[in-house]
Amino acid sequence: MAVVLVPSLVAAQAGGKKRFEVEAGTVGEALRGLPVADLLLDERGELRTLVNVYVDGVDARRGEGLETKLGPAAEVRVVAAIAGG
Amino acid sequence: MSPVVLVGTKKGFFLVRGDDVRTSWEVEGPQLKGWQVFHAVRDPRDGTLHAAANNWVYGATAQRSSDEGQTWERSEGLGLPEGSELKLTEAWHVEPGHASEPDTLFLGGAPGVLFRTDDGGTTWEVNRALLEHPTRERWQPGAGGLCCHSIQIDPTDAKRMAIAISAAGMFRSDDGGESWEPRNTGVAADFMPDDKYPDVGQCVHKLLLHPARPERLWQQNHCGVYRSDDRGDTWERLDKNGLPSDFGFGLALDPADPDSAWVVPEEGAENRVTPDGQLGVYRTRDGGASWQRLENGLPKPAWAAVLREGMAYDDRSIAVGTQSGSVFVTSDGGESWIEAASQLPPVLSVELA
Repeated sequence: MAVVLVPSLVAAQAGGKKRFEVEAGTVGEALRGLPVADLLLDERGELRTLVNVYVDGVDARRGEGLETKLGPAAEVRVVAAIAGG
Repeated sequence: MSPVVLVGTKKGFFLVRGDDVRTSWEVEGPQLKGWQVFHAVRDPRDGTLHAAANNWVYGATAQRSSDEGQTWERSEGLGLPEGSELKLTEAWHVEPGHASEPDTLFLGGAPGVLFRTDDGGTTWEVNRALLEHPTRERWQPGAGGLCCHSIQIDPTDAKRMAIAISAAGMFRSDDGGESWEPRNTGVAADFMPDDKYPDVGQCVHKLLLHPARPERLWQQNHCGVYRSDDRGDTWERLDKNGLPSDFGFGLALDPADPDSAWVVPEEGAENRVTPDGQLGVYRTRDGGASWQRLENGLPKPAWAAVLREGMAYDDRSIAVGTQSGSVFVTSDGGESWIEAASQLPPVLSVELA
């Protein structure tokens, strides 16, 4: 069972829930199963440009992106890029 | 119900509640913290609040609340369909539909797209005729992106709609959105290198239809203030009669008087602040033949900026929100103004509800 952790702004869009336990083999499967998937992935199912995902501390974009494999106890951490105004 | 100004800001949503005589106002909020609320409106048919809320990281959303904003529900799957080369970048404006279609609302967004819901905002479907409009390749985004920001529905005919996109111009549908025709005759596009009066490409900043005389439309444009008395077929330019500039964004009307309108001119496209070091609202009572500056209760010195959703009206008042974080309200046609809120984040939108 992988664990997905999301930032507080995203959690506020999921009734305050910051931690999700998911059965997923890849990052993409894990994110697509969340109730906030549309905030993390665009309408083509691609990771939004300013959304970063770390799998056990490693940037998924440095791996296989959404196809990055998850171990049975993986921690998937969603982090917003530094942006805004 | 007591009046409330719904205030969308760069950093969340606020409600500014007034007393029955509209002289004392209190700020509630923020809600939707972390979201840029480009526009929020109360659906007069059921009281639900709807917001076009955007975030740098998490994209464009449509949100709705049935408990005065205490909790919000995000619409499902807001985006452009497979097969389109475009992606939704921002949600700009939510417009409740015709009185005869109580579950229908419209949402305008960028890049120049319109959505419709028939289930009160749970799901939205893009308008294909606009998405695939044959003139789209000639549309050009302005500073705010290619935004569909004005959606006006004829109260006498649910199928007759007028929308405006910056910078594509006004489009009218007489068949409920099955087709859209440009309606920009007489509207200048001074920023174009050659043809200053093209059929599309005008930079409408705000378009309003008069609710009691729906064939009359007003627009504040990048290049002038205009009025149409034939549903947009032809336009008359009005800004040489007392207005200090042709440039501005916000626009307000008087539901009881089709000849009245209010605008907030800015110096120009290259310096987008109110002229003469003060915030002045300009009013016409004669269909745009002449304009008068109103300033009683408005700040001076001030270099204010009012965005395209920064003016709103109901049957008693006009509200103006500034990028300096103030909301001003008049309930006597602009003769006097009250600062209903100050020190808010930059105001992106106001609505009176």
